[in-house]
Amino acid sequence: LGNLFDRAVKLSHYIHSLSSEMFNEFDERYAQGRGFITKAINGCHTSSLTTPEDKEQAQQIHHEDLLNLVLGVLRSWNDPLLHLVSEVQSIKEAPDTILWKAVEIEEQNKRLLEGMEKIVGQVHPGEIENEVYSRWSGLPSLQMSDEDSRLFAFYSLLHCLRRDSHKIDNYLKLLKCRLIHDSNC
Amino acid sequence: WSEWSSESYIQIPNGQPPGKPELLRCRSPEKETFTCWWNPGSDGGLPTNYTLFYSKEGDKSINECPDYRTAGPNSCYFDKKHTSLWAIYNITIKATNKMGSNISEPQYVDVTYIVQPDPPVNLSLEVKKQVDGKPYLLLKWYPPPLADVKSGWLTLEYKLRLKPEEGEEWETIFVGQQTQYKLFSLNPGKKYIAQVHCKPDHGEWSEWSSESYIQIPSDI
Ligand code: NA
Ligand code: NA
Ligand code: NA
Repeated sequence: LGNLFDRAVKLSHYIHSLSSEMFNEFDERYAQGRGFITKAINGCHTSSLTTPEDKEQAQQIHHEDLLNLVLGVLRSWNDPLLHLVSEVQSIKEAPDTILWKAVEIEEQNKRLLEGMEKIVGQVHPGEIENEVYSRWSGLPSLQMSDEDSRLFAFYSLLHCLRRDSHKIDNYLKLLKCRLIHDSNC
Repeated sequence: WSEWSSESYIQIPNGQPPGKPELLRCRSPEKETFTCWWNPGSDGGLPTNYTLFYSKEGDKSINECPDYRTAGPNSCYFDKKHTSLWAIYNITIKATNKMGSNISEPQYVDVTYIVQPDPPVNLSLEVKKQVDGKPYLLLKWYPPPLADVKSGWLTLEYKLRLKPEEGEEWETIFVGQQTQYKLFSLNPGKKYIAQVHCKPDHGEWSEWSSESYIQIPSDI
């Protein structure tokens, strides 16, 4: 299990670093002066999944529930990431670095999901996991003809991806210390 | 002519409404609390009062700063109870005096992205010898006291820098998550200065720690 966690944490760390770089690149290139951030508030498709919002909340939640939350958030990104990879190519002059990162994140997110399913299988074997995830309905907004609206849709999606990948990375590092190192990292 | 009427008075106020305040910076040392500082701007020559207002993503209410005292003048401290991660705070500063008021441009703050720890502490230096007699310098330090590294809430990476006391060039060594390091390239007879700083996995480097010194014996 320690080995599985090491790999999961490496992946989640990597995915968040890529998401963060991709958001920053997009922000600098397409979002300057457009006030997107004010509109992005309360806009993530995963906000219906209630997740801990500080250390105390994260420590109070049972590890099995936290693991299931991580699974739920990861699953909620399968669909939007798939569409991100295809739609990001429609952005005018999108640099290769953004395209490449979208592809890489989509692939690594699938690997992390597989790894997390193994971890959950070992932590509570036999238990049927509920297929909880949050559905994404943002594809039409990524395809809008109005450029400003379309760029905002991308901005919002990348902002949420950066946030959720950070959450997952943070929760997994916490779980690793709790389950493998007895909270003495 | 009659006598003059009784006297009437008006005080022509001197002073101006306040200038626009500006939110300068927000920082969280441990991903559990944070502080914001502002530049008050012109007070118009009058006693001026500053209030910080914020609204937090997922919560419709507008609130005032919970604590103006803890972090000193022109600042607001958000304790654990008032700090959430993964939520955008919309923050404005309002300056008010007798002549009027002025409000800063809103700033959007996500605590996740303002994490900068305090420097590591208790950097110690010691010359040691391996079993085979080879001398090395052992550097040890502790994470900043506020940072909860044990639970995994915060993951810190460290960088060391060393130089001979009279030297100009620092040698910088990235050491990852360890809190000690063995240095084998020693110059006997020299006095060394060393410092350490730390960075959370996805945040900013801390300031450098205070300097530690060691005299390397000339006979090692
Ligand atoms: Na975030
Ligand atoms: Na204050
Ligand atoms: Na809190």
